[in-house]
Amino acid sequence: MIQKFIITTAAISLLALTGCSQTAPDLAGKNNVSDATQFGDDTVSIDENKYGNEAGSGSNYNSSSDGFQSIYFGFGDYGISSSMQERISTNANVANNASGSQVKIEGNCDEFGTDEYNYALGLKRAKAVKDSIASQGVNTSKMVIVSFGESNPVCNEPTDECYERNRRVDIRLAN
Amino acid sequence: MKYFLTFLLALHFFATTLFGVDATLKVQKDVEQRSRIALVDGSSVPNEKFFNLLLSDLKISGHFLADSTRHQGDFASDFLSPELKSKEYVLKYALSMENGVKLVVRLLKASEGTEFFKKSYAIPAVEKLPFLGHKAISDINNALNYPDISWINRYVVFSRYTTPGRSEILLADYTFNYQKVIIRGGLNLFPKWADAGQKSFYYTSYAGLTPTLYKINIYSGERQKIISSEGMLVCSDVSKDGSKLLLTMAPEGQADIYEFNLGSQSRSKITNFNGIDVNGKYVDDESSIVFVSNRLGYANIFKQSLHGAAVSQIVYHGRNNNACDAHEDQIVYSSRESQNTFGKNTFNLYLTFSMGSGTRPLTTTGANQFPRFSADGSVILFIKHSGRGSSVGYINLESHQSLLFPISGSKMQSIDW
Repeated sequence: MIQKFIITTAAISLLALTGCSQTAPDLAGKNNVSDATQFGDDTVSIDENKYGNEAGSGSNYNSSSDGFQSIYFGFGDYGISSSMQERISTNANVANNASGSQVKIEGNCDEFGTDEYNYALGLKRAKAVKDSIASQGVNTSKMVIVSFGESNPVCNEPTDECYERNRRVDIRLAN
Repeated sequence: MKYFLTFLLALHFFATTLFGVDATLKVQKDVEQRSRIALVDGSSVPNEKFFNLLLSDLKISGHFLADSTRHQGDFASDFLSPELKSKEYVLKYALSMENGVKLVVRLLKASEGTEFFKKSYAIPAVEKLPFLGHKAISDINNALNYPDISWINRYVVFSRYTTPGRSEILLADYTFNYQKVIIRGGLNLFPKWADAGQKSFYYTSYAGLTPTLYKINIYSGERQKIISSEGMLVCSDVSKDGSKLLLTMAPEGQADIYEFNLGSQSRSKITNFNGIDVNGKYVDDESSIVFVSNRLGYANIFKQSLHGAAVSQIVYHGRNNNACDAHEDQIVYSSRESQNTFGKNTFNLYLTFSMGSGTRPLTTTGANQFPRFSADGSVILFIKHSGRGSSVGYINLESHQSLLFPISGSKMQSIDW
């Protein structure tokens, strides 16, 4: 370990203290003047706030609404625990009574995943809730699932309780 | 021995601090082939920030051993002070910021004081000053017939979270000195350049009932809807000719990788697994893809031909390799190497090859994520989180040179360049 450290240090120090030449061609007088017009064109700036957004539906944007109850998950899991089964039954009843409305099932994750994988995890959670509700008689064509990955946390505190609240599926009526 | 180790420790600290390098740097024989160069600021109002930007460009190129001293002198004169005579080249420059930005550079041969290269640049938007510096260094590099470094001229596009359920998409130069919001408001994610010329990018919008992929022209603002999908939708890669996309989507509620033909508007399902398949990237002249899957019970990197269903494991190291990028046969992936369920974890980057010819560590400390190859595959961009904050990092695979640039602001969501 010490030997490796010594070799690495000596090598990096060599980089700092030495350096030799490389012969270069003589281009004096060629390509003397240019500009940078390719960077000159201005780029756009679009504000989508004016279009509204369904990602957060109203003031209670991070929890289920319209009578539905959120389903919570363990770290890295997308299986529905037995403690959540009563909520699944409640959600199935609410969905069956919501005639004519589509039910939106939103999968969410804590902040510890990255890139696409975390969105896929949120999707698996949403799909698990959809399948569970469907198993209690709700028509699958009535439900639509969307993963929000880690984009829609309900809290940002560095506590286990907060992380648990973010590993959830929210349900609401889509229209 | 004790004093000798103390001396080495001090020297190690000096070297790593001076160059801002990652601890994984290997020093190659070609160090001695780099050109020693000094910068002389001949501007009427010297600009230290611009000097540092030029210095960074020279360092990350891997072709120069740049003097970190900020010399000042007469721009037009061929006179060089004796201390500069030990260099091979002296780059004199003059920057003025009246009615836009103007930059003039002169490359002198240090031994003779003769002009070797001269060029002037102008741009109306002052905030785009970093691009002038990058272009000048890129041109000087080309004038010396060194391998191309035009990647320093490219835009970086990235998305970051602002508030819960909200994000914004920005453009930056590679150092993040220039930044501009392109799409503000709403939830817009996973930007991915659509063409080599960087005129448009794809991104996923959550404005509708289901995620929708759009293509937007960064100059005109023209926006084109590409496709929607229930569940999730990400444009993970674009074919070289721009005609096909690799999408992670879930039309039946199951995340799989699809190839989407923009001309025929048809899609073909490539992966088919009842778990997680994401992050598809073209490899091997676009005959195959590599992707992230949990088919072994944890996130890892796999490969599949576009013309067959057989899947092969690419990485046999680590238990949580949840992101990757590819260029030709090169694959870079991020591996989580600590088991803290919550809090800070170590993520390191590794370079491997689609044909399976060895794996090489690229980083050793901090949380290194979002690895992305440059367009020519010679450099890897990544985001580093450490105790000192967040940075955008670059590793030059040929010269083994690396640099970090501090970034501030909200949490990064995705990035491309």
